[in-house]
Amino acid sequence: MNIAPYSEDQTDALQEVANIAMGQAGDSLARIMGHFVELSVPRIRLVTVQDLVATVSEMVGAKEDVAAVRQAFYNQLRGEAIVVIKQSGADELAELMDYEDEVDSEAEEELLLEVANLLVGAIINGISETLEAELGFSAPSLMTTGAPLERVLTPDKLTWSHALLVEVHLCIEGHKFKSHLLLFMAEESIDALRGILDNFIDDL
Amino acid sequence: MADTPQLLDFIVDRTHAGIFVVDRDMRIVLWNQFMEVHSGRKRDELLDQDLFDAFPELPRKWLTRKINNVFILKNFSFTSWEQRPYLFKFPHNRPVTGGVDCMRQDCTLMPVKNDAGEVEYVCFTLFDVTDTSIYQMQLEDLTKQLRDASNRDGLTGLHNRRFIEETLASEFARAQRHDHALSLIITDIDHFKRVNDEHGHLAGDEVLRRVAQRLNDGLRISDHLGRYGGEEFLVVLPETPLEGAETLCERLRQAIAEEPIPLGDGALPVSISLGISQFRPGVRNYEQLIEEADQALYRAKETGRNRYTIFQPPSAA
Amino acid sequence: MAVPVTVVDDSKISRKMVIRALPPAWEVDITQAENGEEALAAYRDGKAEVMFLDLTMPVMDGYQVLEQLQKEALNTFVVVISADIQPEAQERVKKLGAMAFIKKPVKTEHIEDVLKEYGLV
Repeated sequence: MNIAPYSEDQTDALQEVANIAMGQAGDSLARIMGHFVELSVPRIRLVTVQDLVATVSEMVGAKEDVAAVRQAFYNQLRGEAIVVIKQSGADELAELMDYEDEVDSEAEEELLLEVANLLVGAIINGISETLEAELGFSAPSLMTTGAPLERVLTPDKLTWSHALLVEVHLCIEGHKFKSHLLLFMAEESIDALRGILDNFIDDL
Repeated sequence: MADTPQLLDFIVDRTHAGIFVVDRDMRIVLWNQFMEVHSGRKRDELLDQDLFDAFPELPRKWLTRKINNVFILKNFSFTSWEQRPYLFKFPHNRPVTGGVDCMRQDCTLMPVKNDAGEVEYVCFTLFDVTDTSIYQMQLEDLTKQLRDASNRDGLTGLHNRRFIEETLASEFARAQRHDHALSLIITDIDHFKRVNDEHGHLAGDEVLRRVAQRLNDGLRISDHLGRYGGEEFLVVLPETPLEGAETLCERLRQAIAEEPIPLGDGALPVSISLGISQFRPGVRNYEQLIEEADQALYRAKETGRNRYTIFQPPSAA
Repeated sequence: MAVPVTVVDDSKISRKMVIRALPPAWEVDITQAENGEEALAAYRDGKAEVMFLDLTMPVMDGYQVLEQLQKEALNTFVVVISADIQPEAQERVKKLGAMAFIKKPVKTEHIEDVLKEYGLV
């Protein structure tokens, strides 16, 4: 399947929408953690399944083990959001979130899911509001903790050949915590989004 | 035509999921039939009551935070049985076949906004996932059994070569990292080929099984034993200096030699030879440790069998 | 007389979003700038009595523009427009001399509120 790349305007619009959505995610995170959150410039790539791992590894830059949570989003756009958090940062979560109870492995997982859900929810809501597109999202599920990134993204298990990848990352000032949020949309949603972006641009 | 609002009320009330709603003050404003049936508490007594007054057993601090986050962030939130088995301790529908103590639950917390876009209520949907959780636990058990089986040698029931090598590799890494002692024993049944030739392969298998059993019985709790090849076994001894390895070798040697192995009507005297190697700075990898233990085993064979020898590193001088 | 207004953002779409959100009754003469250098040039041309300023831009970003304006004691009414809506981010730019902060996506009523507050309309 041949996927036409987005036009300059379409990419610009998507970048801006991602930027706005990330701002809301950052604000949500800052409210929960009570720390200032540093935001990245969103990165947009059209990736093939073959170079997926290389692209994401380069973005995440992780030689160390990571924890990862996935969540589906659906309705006018369908895709999956994956939140990747370096393990050393994940270990800081309980402290950052003022978790006072005893932190066993279930509690750690729960915190991871909560943070991922907060980021994904804010991003999806942000995109949905800005583009006036109906979007919902599923409950988060844990993909892995303490594993190398390659184990999160296994190309042989993916059913698409091309995907649109939107990446943003958020850091907490003065802490190790850093999370990467990866939004993947496969073939048919790439076209659906193209249409939604065109409408959005035309309305301006 | 059904009256639509009435229809919706009916569905919310009777659907096979728990639905309840709380306001900003944690007061219960909706409590459907599923919640009534499973909690045994009627909505008439619960409406307008504080959720935590009505159910003091709820994890108050955690749940308050969770609910408040929905109000603040205007975002859906979720809980899963995998991290938190249940919110309310409800009986489940598998009292006989269950194997779990109470209903496993997944919950969704939905923000309910007013016209101004502010969250006025949080609506809980509570799903009974007891069946799913039981299947999942059965699957995990099975996976564990399979994993365990794939790590074992079929004949002797000991760890197989792959697994014992993995164990050695990780113990080697640990010894290296923390500068701990680590000993390795390779042992092999003396004249095993003769057993096979003279008594047949079935007898040979029986001898292997018995020897494996006796070796296993002779180990300390922290030692790892595996079948390395045909009649060869590997013992990994974490945090064990040479003296400990020698003591163990002698014990294992005696355990085999002192009593012939019962075979059909009679019994067959069997002995083993053993070689010991030691982790020390400068040993490159675990393969070198195996190689050195193998050399020591060879010397034990050469010098008369039914004994152990220790690998002597070439002296630095 | 129309007020000279410069809209500074590296994203064309984002500039359009700001321009579309300007109150219809407000008479303006709009200049667009893609980065901080262009923005300062527009100011020196007398085209930026009011400046709507994005923060993250190549060449020269919004923070550098604010610093430069402060250093040269330049007189323009800067409204920072940013997706980073954390209170601390807002404080940071106000310390650097921004008069107001409006979050993205920009809404007409937010711009109106600011203009009214400072008596610009």
